[in-house]
Amino acid sequence: MLNFDYKIFFIFFLILFSKLLSQNQLKLQLDYANNLYNSGQYFDAITEYKRLQFFDSSKIFIYQSDYQIGLCYKAGGHFDNAVKYFSLAEMNSKTYQQKFDSKIQIIRTNILRRTTDRALQLLDSLDNSSYFETKKDTINYWRGWTYIFADDWKTAALFFDKIDAQHPLKKLCIKVENSKYSVTFAKVISYILPGAGQIYTGHLLSGFLSLGWNLLAGYWTINSFAANRIFDGFTAGTLVWLRFYRGNVQNAENFARERNIDISNKALHYLQTQYEGIKP
Amino acid sequence: MIHRSETLLSGLIRIDLLRRIVRLVKPIRSAELRRACSAESRREASHFVDCLQVRILFFFFLFTVEIFTQPGNSNLFSAGNRLKFGNYLFSQNDYLRAAEEYRAYLKVESDDTARFKLAESLLRIDRFTEAADHFKGVFFSRGLGDYARLEFYKALFLGGGYVRFRQTVNQENYMPDKFSTEVKRLGMISYFFDNSVLPDSSEMFHYFDDSVKIRIRKFYLMKKFPAYKNPLKAAILSAVIPGAGKIYTGEIGDGITAFAATGLLAFLAVDNFKAGHNFRGWLFGGLAAFFYAGNIYGSAASAQIYNAGIKFDFNREVKLYFEKRNYFLPSIDFLK
Amino acid sequence: MKKFFALIIFFVVVLHAQTDWVRWSGAEISYEIKKQEKKNYAIGNASPGTKFLSGIKNAYYFLISDLDGDNCPFYPSCSNFFVASVKETNLVQGGLMFADRFIRDLNPIKGLNHYPFYSNGKLLDPPENYTLIFNKITYIPGGIVVGDYDSSK
Repeated sequence: MLNFDYKIFFIFFLILFSKLLSQNQLKLQLDYANNLYNSGQYFDAITEYKRLQFFDSSKIFIYQSDYQIGLCYKAGGHFDNAVKYFSLAEMNSKTYQQKFDSKIQIIRTNILRRTTDRALQLLDSLDNSSYFETKKDTINYWRGWTYIFADDWKTAALFFDKIDAQHPLKKLCIKVENSKYSVTFAKVISYILPGAGQIYTGHLLSGFLSLGWNLLAGYWTINSFAANRIFDGFTAGTLVWLRFYRGNVQNAENFARERNIDISNKALHYLQTQYEGIKP
Repeated sequence: MIHRSETLLSGLIRIDLLRRIVRLVKPIRSAELRRACSAESRREASHFVDCLQVRILFFFFLFTVEIFTQPGNSNLFSAGNRLKFGNYLFSQNDYLRAAEEYRAYLKVESDDTARFKLAESLLRIDRFTEAADHFKGVFFSRGLGDYARLEFYKALFLGGGYVRFRQTVNQENYMPDKFSTEVKRLGMISYFFDNSVLPDSSEMFHYFDDSVKIRIRKFYLMKKFPAYKNPLKAAILSAVIPGAGKIYTGEIGDGITAFAATGLLAFLAVDNFKAGHNFRGWLFGGLAAFFYAGNIYGSAASAQIYNAGIKFDFNREVKLYFEKRNYFLPSIDFLK
Repeated sequence: MKKFFALIIFFVVVLHAQTDWVRWSGAEISYEIKKQEKKNYAIGNASPGTKFLSGIKNAYYFLISDLDGDNCPFYPSCSNFFVASVKETNLVQGGLMFADRFIRDLNPIKGLNHYPFYSNGKLLDPPENYTLIFNKITYIPGGIVVGDYDSSK
């Protein structure tokens, strides 16, 4: 009697074993692909994840492999493909955590490729979902990064503040915001006194040269009109004075913008190379 | 992901097995059998055990088969699995990866279809020379030889060396029996893509269907007599009337501007000379001469750019037309 | 119509060319904001004539061009076009090319779909197209936006 039961159990054990063995093979394949990913061989890693998907007939690892393929494409800078695979991962997610993770990856990819509107739209949808009530901090964190990449440091600071009033990124954003030049101010003072905006942004030589040209052309124009040489006055006024006056305002604006980009880039460089928190 | 029929098959096997197991377990659990197996009928019982052992052996065999046929259980990198995965990648247009799988498979197995698909993958990712070499390896295959030769010519053609391509077509060494018209037609099409002297029109049209002959004739005439503008004529026109050359090449705005600018400066020069302002006279006169000369030069340049535009439009139209029709080549069924 | 065709070609190319048809490796994507290219003040170490010309160009840049605003609708700008033309050919031919360019600049309707656009929004008009050597011409239909035209080619 026992003999029969033993043999039947043996059969069940065999079935079980076969299932376990097959899972084990796939698990090994996943590890192999992960190793390739970790060593930076993203193209080959994608091949192996695809192989895993192909032979994983019961779709046990479909979420992991889609997610990892997305990460590979993201690391190679192929953002469109990355978004495609993160979306597939989101479709194949089995838990809310997986759904959230893949959605956050889509958002991070959008941040990196500076498609701000799309990133914000996705963040809104996460915000409005009742499943992710406990994830507000993460959502706000990536909102902050979205605004950093959109060069809007003031709004970014607001969202980091919602996480923690002492958040290091909040401090950084405020610092960047405060050290920026005012483009409007530079333009306005250059309208009033040519060259002033350039001097305000630290371009002294350019400022003084602008001032010199405007004074010279102004003198020339007024002198011509005063001496009743209307044609000369008109020519000097439109072709020289107006040209340099307009150029002076344009320069003031451009210099202020350039300075601001330099300030932003310095902070962005710090974030990319030295900041230790999670980055997009 | 796996081929559907295979999933279906393994599914059927599994259902079948379950049914057998249920049949096996039921009698053992039932009271009748326990009685049957009791001391009263040992003989029958022992017979049953024999049967059971045979059954178990049979099931064991089945399971081992199942274990080894299940792709997950066997080695994912075995030759057969590489081929399966390669075919899947090919169907997903992931040709570079597919080519790598076929390559690995062909190291172990000799398979003309796989070599053909390897070559086709390379052809589709624009690696024409390699593709042509691999197609050569299938030239003497029974079923695929003609197709391989056809694709070989296509690879040579798409590779862009049209003169060499036509030489190979004319030598006829590799000509596929089944598709010789197609290949020769491709040879004719190639004349539209480079600057060689066009063949006689009757020779050219011979290979095309009546339905497309009108279109081919139009291309032929456009290629033979392009609607170019003569740069010298443009320059002479501009020398006679400033800007006329530009109007001739279609740059009406530029032409009128040139006429106005040169005319105004010349007028200012004359006016200033009359008024005795010699310096200003020379200044405006010099500028007028500078613009006059520049416009003559620019008219010739503009005619050349116009011609480059005609050539560009023609090339694009021809390329779109033939590409859309796959160069009048037949599509290969087993690649779909 | 031309624009339409260009769009079609663009889509055909984009849909056809797949990322994975060529091997690629990881890329460090810079967080930094791209800046407009700076004017090139470098003086070439070619002939004394080129050096002299570059010196004049730099003086013009420093004293006038940098101060009187962004006036040239073309890329490369008129002064750069002149320098590049002279480098490409000789002083006389370069001068003629510059005169022609100046007239075309005066044309008030030049923006009307005749030139392609460079990615910074300017009309792309490379000097190589005006050397009277047919094979040097890179024809690009008007109205199309061209990403990165390499003037050093």
